[in-house]
Amino acid sequence: MRRYVVQRLLQNVFLLWVLITFMFVLFRLLPGDPVSIVVSAELPEQARAALRKSWGLDRPLGEQYVAYLGNLVQGNFGLSFQHQKPVWGILSEKLVNTLVLMIPATLLAVVVGVAGGMYFGWKRGSRVERLGVLLPAVIRGIPSFWLGILLLMLFSYGLDWFPIGGMRSIGVEARSPWQLYLSMDFLWHLTLPLLCMAITSLPEPLLIMRSSLLETRGEDYLELIEAKGASEARVLFHAARGSLLPVMTWVVHMFGYAMASTVVIEMVFAWPGLGREIITAVGTFDYPMAQAAFFLISLVIITLNLLLDLCYGLLDPRVVIA
Amino acid sequence: MSALHAERGSGAVAELVYRARAVLALFWSDGYGRFGLCVLCVFAAVAVLCPWIATHDPWVNNTRPDGTLARLNGPSAAHLLGTTYYGQDVFSQLVLATPQTLLVGVVTAILVGFIGTNVGLISGYFGGVVDDVLMRITDFFYAIPFLPFMMVVVSFFGTSVAVVVGSMSLVFWRTAARVVRSQVLTVKQRPYVLAARASGAGHARIIYRHILPNVLPLSFLYLLFGAAWGVLTESSLSFIGLGDPNRLSWGLMLNQAFATGSIRYAWWWVVPPGAALTVFMVSLYLLGRAFEEQSSPRLRQQ
Repeated sequence: MRRYVVQRLLQNVFLLWVLITFMFVLFRLLPGDPVSIVVSAELPEQARAALRKSWGLDRPLGEQYVAYLGNLVQGNFGLSFQHQKPVWGILSEKLVNTLVLMIPATLLAVVVGVAGGMYFGWKRGSRVERLGVLLPAVIRGIPSFWLGILLLMLFSYGLDWFPIGGMRSIGVEARSPWQLYLSMDFLWHLTLPLLCMAITSLPEPLLIMRSSLLETRGEDYLELIEAKGASEARVLFHAARGSLLPVMTWVVHMFGYAMASTVVIEMVFAWPGLGREIITAVGTFDYPMAQAAFFLISLVIITLNLLLDLCYGLLDPRVVIA
Repeated sequence: MSALHAERGSGAVAELVYRARAVLALFWSDGYGRFGLCVLCVFAAVAVLCPWIATHDPWVNNTRPDGTLARLNGPSAAHLLGTTYYGQDVFSQLVLATPQTLLVGVVTAILVGFIGTNVGLISGYFGGVVDDVLMRITDFFYAIPFLPFMMVVVSFFGTSVAVVVGSMSLVFWRTAARVVRSQVLTVKQRPYVLAARASGAGHARIIYRHILPNVLPLSFLYLLFGAAWGVLTESSLSFIGLGDPNRLSWGLMLNQAFATGSIRYAWWWVVPPGAALTVFMVSLYLLGRAFEEQSSPRLRQQ
């Protein structure tokens, strides 16, 4: 087991290093001058050179790379070109904004999806079964940004129940960090993007649950439990237990994936999250910011997958031997 | 000798036709599959006939009878689905964006299927170092933040469809490769494969003649998914504003409706492109489902 853990760990650290290097090279290859975004073109060449020097862009690429890696190991993401402030301060705030949207949305999707999957996998009858096929397929087909726009059209512009975007009303100041995310005003702003994200993540847990219940339905051990006089709910619980692991696997895979693709929903609802920050950073050649954001997302994906692998190894010894 | 080759060649064609007909029959035997097939045929027909279906030049800024710009006119006889903020005909834009969308779907599907299947076959068949290297490359593409990566690629290489489709396919083959590989691992232990090897068949022959037919259904499934992912991603990028602004697409239409603030009330501009995207993707997913269900007997019994 220990050998397995060490091996997986090393593999993933190596993978992270490859990714970091890939990003570094990719951003340096990008055409465009970060200086021209921050200062006006009239600035004399001398001043531009000074700025470039203060950002370390005048040094050879190899030297920049070594410095970057050294800083990264110490947890230092450097200064943002665009904001002239440490990257981590800005990025951590955006990361939190994205997570407050993603975590509740994922939870909602899992709870509703699992319940729905249990219903569609257990209930018999042609109408239920038809709905169980069509509903997830339709939801899967809806592009998240279009769903977001429809929600805005209906609930914000039409009924005027919810704000048209942003994270809090103008002029609302929080007195403590907790108040930032626990006020009614924030929840009011959170509702539509959360709904949009939860709905678009719903089909997978639903389908996983449905198909695994369809498979277990009618197994001998369930009939035995039923014969012992257990209630239908109890039989269902036993049937569903086996499919919780695949659902958890999906959550882990989806989480990393969603971190990178919330950008579309963030655009629609003007949510100040990680995704929109990446668009701005790429558009303004803010290398430190963009690289740090990429690094964070990749780190989350890799770490979650590693944890999943290790859990599997723990639960199923065959994995370790193979 | 050449006669033998010719016979073998026509045999391959016949087999291909046979397989294609089997797949079509399989779709047709399932209600949802039939639905998906019909919808895709409608899309294909629109794509081919679009120059005759479209009523206006999609880029022309139409005017009202009094000479002013026909900005955000509702649906009428003159403009079946109304006009955009720039006075362009929504119906014509919707129709003329169809061939582009189908092209993106088909090309992505073929590339994803081709790369994914081959990586999976080679990785699973040879095992060892080859397998290790290929699977680490697959891991790499799994760990890449996908949409941000696409943004960087597009801002580097430009927003042309070729770039978008190429780089999407470069990432999307990962899933197909993993699934095909695990299938190959079981297939290559089967007696007839071992027999072929024992009788001295070459690697290429074993892979493509004996193993490939068994993983082809899986590849086909990922072909369908590849088309759906491709169309969805392309339209997402266009919506974010990273698509080609001179190429009609449903994502671009939604981008403009959103950017001009027209989503406030111009439902005739917002609903059609999104609905077209949704119907297209739903039909692909239903085909995929029909395929999965019909090709795995265990599910079929339920």
